[in-house]
Amino acid sequence: MSVDPTYSVTFNENNQEFSIAGKLRPQNASDIKPLEAALSKALAGVRGTFYLNVKRLARINNVAFRVIASLMAQMVEKRVDLKIEVVTSSVLGWSTRKFLPLAQRIPNIKVVEYDKEFYPGQSFLEEGGFIPILRNQTRMTWRHERNLLPRHGLTPGASIADICCGIGDFAVLAHKEFKPSRLLALDHSRTSLDYARKVAAEFGVTDIEYVYGDAAELMIDDNSFDFVTCRHSLQVFDRPELILRELYRICKPGGRVYITNEKNSHCLGEPRGESIQWTYNEVAKLWAHFNMDIEFGPKSGRYMMDAGFDDIRIDTFMVTNRDGDPQDFADMIQAWENVYAGQMSRDRGDTPEFIAKFRQGFQDHIHAALNPKGYAGWPIWAASGRKPS
Amino acid sequence: MSGMKPLLEVSMGIDAFSSAWAHCDRISSYVARMVSHNRADPLLYANLLSSALNELLEIAFAHHGPDGDISCRVSRSGASDIIELSLPCDDAALGFYTGAAEQLKRADLAEAYQSALFSPGAGDPHLGLLEIAVDYKARISILPEGGKRVLVAATVELEGAVS
Repeated sequence: MSVDPTYSVTFNENNQEFSIAGKLRPQNASDIKPLEAALSKALAGVRGTFYLNVKRLARINNVAFRVIASLMAQMVEKRVDLKIEVVTSSVLGWSTRKFLPLAQRIPNIKVVEYDKEFYPGQSFLEEGGFIPILRNQTRMTWRHERNLLPRHGLTPGASIADICCGIGDFAVLAHKEFKPSRLLALDHSRTSLDYARKVAAEFGVTDIEYVYGDAAELMIDDNSFDFVTCRHSLQVFDRPELILRELYRICKPGGRVYITNEKNSHCLGEPRGESIQWTYNEVAKLWAHFNMDIEFGPKSGRYMMDAGFDDIRIDTFMVTNRDGDPQDFADMIQAWENVYAGQMSRDRGDTPEFIAKFRQGFQDHIHAALNPKGYAGWPIWAASGRKPS
Repeated sequence: MSGMKPLLEVSMGIDAFSSAWAHCDRISSYVARMVSHNRADPLLYANLLSSALNELLEIAFAHHGPDGDISCRVSRSGASDIIELSLPCDDAALGFYTGAAEQLKRADLAEAYQSALFSPGAGDPHLGLLEIAVDYKARISILPEGGKRVLVAATVELEGAVS
């Protein structure tokens, strides 16, 4: 239900969740009467815990805050059975501390900052351990992508948003190669962003905007960028369609969204191909166990069509040990082994026997990569779609 | 004025400014976005700065004199951003700002803010300034400029607040 051009409210009766999105800066309390009425009605009809979701409420002034706070305070005072959780987001900066005084004042109101575990594998992928993997991967994929990107619509001087930018090295390379008019790089890992800022500084790049944010709920205006990239990330979210919807939203009409993803079970190598194949089939199962889809690559086109894109272009390329220094490839596989056969496999409760066999496939892939007669490959699907004008 | 070279200054006639409430939001959003681009996290920084600036502009919208321009300047000194609003003042507006300056000298500012935030009825007209002083830890000064104008300056350090 849309009640005002600057904000929207929705109420999900099943979750008892009332969500406000947009901007709430009325002059008078009477300006937001429809919101007050909707909130009042929703509160009156719930039992137990009521959730006020302000994760996507970008801004609020005191006039609006007082209306909402006063209504909630009155309701919990009248009904002792009622509890209210205000769901805020660390992405906005203001919302937690704005609502905290309300929670401190009224026992049945609680503020929960939605900051952790946006996606199932976040703890594996975000904090520190994955940085070596990401750095190596970008170095190897860039050799292919720098040539592919123009085919997918990236032109010099375009405005670019790199969503889920990780450690920001792709953004730095794209900045150097395509000299964008604006480049915003967003990620939800503060560790990665700190690293990204350091990498940019080392390259003397000062005009990349590194932004902390949630890919599924971007605080970026609609129709902002000519070219939106999201690399190796849809595969780690359990609901990739939500991310794609946001990528679509921030892309300008006529602009393009570019995604890359893997199909890990198609990693290959010789010699010792059988062991390698077994391990990567198991990688796919392991990711699926944690609700991530490392097999996403070939599904890219379908997801882009469902999201409303047209003129969809799909390429595949194989990163191999022959592309550059084979040691880079070997280092990447070693990093995969450390995370997949280390923390993830252990957390799933795998037996030592399984883990030993699982590790062997990675070691055989490394052997194939470093063997002068060997071949080791890692396939990537690059897809892009145009947002209709 | 701070005497520092501003990053950005927006001026308009007070009549034009106070003809539409949306000007507060538009000016605060624009100014915040423009001056935040080279902060460590531009979107987050702009969001916070816009919130503080919007409250100041809403105060100016409600309390000002009849003739002259309102100017909004933002200057930078390292981690600090200095927001300065200069606006025309009549006796009633001057009385409001003098009262606000007294409020801001209170030792129990945090309690005063909480009390204003949850006060019943129309609300405390000083709430916005109290919020900026307490929640944004701003250093605020309110100075008359030659009897017919007032300068409201708020110095904020938001980089640490957003990381």
